[in-house]
Amino acid sequence: MKNKRVDGIYIFSPFLRLFHWIMAAAVLMLFLTGRYIANPFFHGSIGVDPTISVGNLMSMETIRFWHFFWAYVLVASFILRIYGWVMYKGDRLLPKFWTKLYWTGLSEVLQHYLFLKSDHQPYLRNSLARTTYLIWYIVTFVLMATGFAMYGMINPASWTAKFFSPVISLLGNEYNVHVVHNYAAWFFPLFLTFHTYFAYRSDMMHGDGEISSIFSGIKYLPGKPADAEDLK
Amino acid sequence: METRMTMWDSFSKRGLSRRTFLKTCTALTAMMGLPLTDRKKVVEAATKQPLPVVVWLHGHECTGCDEAFIRSQSPLASDLVLNMISLEYSDTLAAAAGEPFEKHLETVIKKYDGKFILAVEGGVPLADQGISCMVGGKPFVDVLKEVAKHAAAIIEYGSCAAWGGVQAAKPNPTGSVSVSKVISGKPIIKVPGCPPIPEVMTGVVMHLALFGQIPPLDAQGRPKQFYGNRIHDTCYRRSFFDAGMFAERFDDAGSKAGWCLYKLGCRGPEAYNACGNLRWWNGLSYPIQSGSPCFACGSDGFWDNGPFHERLPNVVLPNTLTNADKIGAGLTVAAMAGVTVHAVISSVQKARHAKNESEHDEE
Repeated sequence: MKNKRVDGIYIFSPFLRLFHWIMAAAVLMLFLTGRYIANPFFHGSIGVDPTISVGNLMSMETIRFWHFFWAYVLVASFILRIYGWVMYKGDRLLPKFWTKLYWTGLSEVLQHYLFLKSDHQPYLRNSLARTTYLIWYIVTFVLMATGFAMYGMINPASWTAKFFSPVISLLGNEYNVHVVHNYAAWFFPLFLTFHTYFAYRSDMMHGDGEISSIFSGIKYLPGKPADAEDLK
Repeated sequence: METRMTMWDSFSKRGLSRRTFLKTCTALTAMMGLPLTDRKKVVEAATKQPLPVVVWLHGHECTGCDEAFIRSQSPLASDLVLNMISLEYSDTLAAAAGEPFEKHLETVIKKYDGKFILAVEGGVPLADQGISCMVGGKPFVDVLKEVAKHAAAIIEYGSCAAWGGVQAAKPNPTGSVSVSKVISGKPIIKVPGCPPIPEVMTGVVMHLALFGQIPPLDAQGRPKQFYGNRIHDTCYRRSFFDAGMFAERFDDAGSKAGWCLYKLGCRGPEAYNACGNLRWWNGLSYPIQSGSPCFACGSDGFWDNGPFHERLPNVVLPNTLTNADKIGAGLTVAAMAGVTVHAVISSVQKARHAKNESEHDEE
């Protein structure tokens, strides 16, 4: 194999990188606590006083508290995401369905992943990844909207309940909101599986520093990326 | 024009004391969810306001709401019907029947045009020109439209009138819908439940009658004072939920000890009603107290969220029943297996690619 000289391309702003890790932690905690809330698979036993809910680390009360805590953290972390989005082009790598490059890139990367093509040209972020991340954000917003719709109804006269009431009307009744929240949450382990695998794979196959870019913001692409325009 | 009696007139005519009257007014104030300081207003209204004329129609339903209503304990249903409202038409409670009775309905809606309260019990079937529910030889939808035209306000009594009811369950062969889907331009109050708590109906009727205005409603059109809280948030078993103590089966020790019914499919976290505060039959009990999970009988579409004793609804896949958690876990395992296989093939591909390139370089 030849030793190609590659230049690092600085893509991701510190705000995006910080957001990424806060979001990763928040979503992981939300999923785990959410699993217990949806299906409390361990619980107290005969002889346990129900007052253990107060201050007990693994009671439903505490687990729900952490669920709401991390939900707020996730929402707050979007401040970083939005700031990065506004200030840095590298944080704006969303799918551009209207360009030819999006569709050719999608086809090329799919062919590569299906082993029909031995390699694909370098991208800042390929079309498939861009699309997946967009879906990720959509699912996250669905989870936020349904989550706060349920949370707000603890006090139906509250501002939160009023603001999110259209979510409940849209889904027909509040039970469906729980169901949608539960289904949407399962997108997370699926996404985590594919996301970590393909990031790792990209690093292994192309040596493009995909993993280190999560920390440094720099990718080392073998050649000029096809979507280099997005940084200009 | 004849003058109608006030509640006070009605009480004095029956020889009931002022004291009894005031006691009733106090009870009513509480019933309507008003603070006790508003008792003066209630007494004043009950002394001056003529008894409200109520027309009670029955549509596509099981009459269970009536059965519940006649068991109203405080005030007694008989008191309400005979002393507090002027119930001019009710198919099930009236002594009269047949053509003269239907004729009476026509007379009443013209006589009290724009002044009476219309209580509707039952859904409105629209399929096949509404022939699934006939009242007095006419489709119910026609009767309803005619009477509603003359009403001052409409109360949708029960989940059938409020949301379409059990007969609106998929695939809804009779095309049953709520009253508000058929009638517009009138103030409508939803009093859902299957059946609703009788005292809630009493409270709503009296609020309309005494203050001449509809009670404060929530986003879905239900009176806030009765539907303003989750069953879950008013549940006396809530401490068991917070502690993570759940009945797993109807015959286990947790069930016997009165633990939370969440895992037995309790819809308390999604249901809005006054069961937790008012309870039933003069505060005797309510489903959760009797050890049966709430199934949100006051919510729109509760009939399609089966099975009632499971936390999550079943999803019907060919030859099997499953739910969100099983599907999610299954997909995740499949994805993990998928990427593992993909990784193995990828490493082979990479080795080949490298080999090709080095051969290419040598040429």
